Amino acid sequence: MRIVCPFCGERELGEFTYLGDAKPVRPEAGASEDEVFDYVYLRDNVAGETNEYWYHGGGCRAWLKVTRNTLTHEISSVEPAAGAGAAKVGA
Amino acid sequence: MVEFSWAPRSPLEHALVTGAHGTRGIEAGVSLTEIRNFDLIQVMARRGKGAELAKAAKARFGVTAPDAPKAVQGKDATLIWSGPDQFFVLSAGGKHTLQTLVPALSGPASLSDQSHARVLISISGVKARAMLAKLSSIDLHVGAFLIGAAAATSMDHTSVTLWRGNDRPDGLAVFNLLVFATFAESLWHTLLDSAAEYGVAISHSEELA
Ligand SMILES: [Zn+2]
Repeated sequence: MRIVCPFCGERELGEFTYLGDAKPVRPEAGASEDEVFDYVYLRDNVAGETNEYWYHGGGCRAWLKVTRNTLTHEISSVEPAAGAGAAKVGA
Repeated sequence: MVEFSWAPRSPLEHALVTGAHGTRGIEAGVSLTEIRNFDLIQVMARRGKGAELAKAAKARFGVTAPDAPKAVQGKDATLIWSGPDQFFVLSAGGKHTLQTLVPALSGPASLSDQSHARVLISISGVKARAMLAKLSSIDLHVGAFLIGAAAATSMDHTSVTLWRGNDRPDGLAVFNLLVFATFAESLWHTLLDSAAEYGVAISHSEELA
């Protein structure tokens, strides 16, 4: 598998580290215990397109948001995660 | 009473043995030269200050700092891309030290002195690309990785900054490698192993190519 880093270009998988699901959003302060439990522990086991955080630690050290199909490993988009490379991030 | 010596020493002082290595009796296919006594400053734009840093860098170095994986030759310095909104300033002879760059760039950027935190190795020779191909997945063909091309990448699981400098007088490509000081000896041995079959000429120098 190869990932096209928006900063570096196409690189081999070995330069990247997988963090996990990019979907969960930290609940507001004062959220219920169920919401926090869901955020911390519960993950969907998607057969299809998922959003994931990957870290280009063996390269430019940017965090990336990767859209990947878990059935085919096809990667349809790679974007800088919020906070990575101030100039290129819209979020 | 204990006496301390603060003279800077190369992290490769023990590992680097000047002369021939590997296959003998042939012209060395790979030249490995450690460049010593350089000034290396990492410059990272503060959040939202990328454009301001670009302006300040242009005024200081006379060239546009790289905003993509490239190495740019400026006034008395090479500017090497090291990640989004950041680059290295490589120079020698005290022309661009932390002390002289802080007044010019610290408004829009954070600076940190990496002069003694990195080892700089220059790799060339007719077998340089063959030897690097064992360690890197980047296409280093002279037609693909042009002069001034750069990459933040890994070799043998070690983070390196790699860029192609100006060709040697005999027309052969030169690849420059910055590696963390504490990983340098390990990577050095890997480079030697990779190059041994081609014959290696080992040296060190204080000349920035
Ligand atoms: Zn990258």
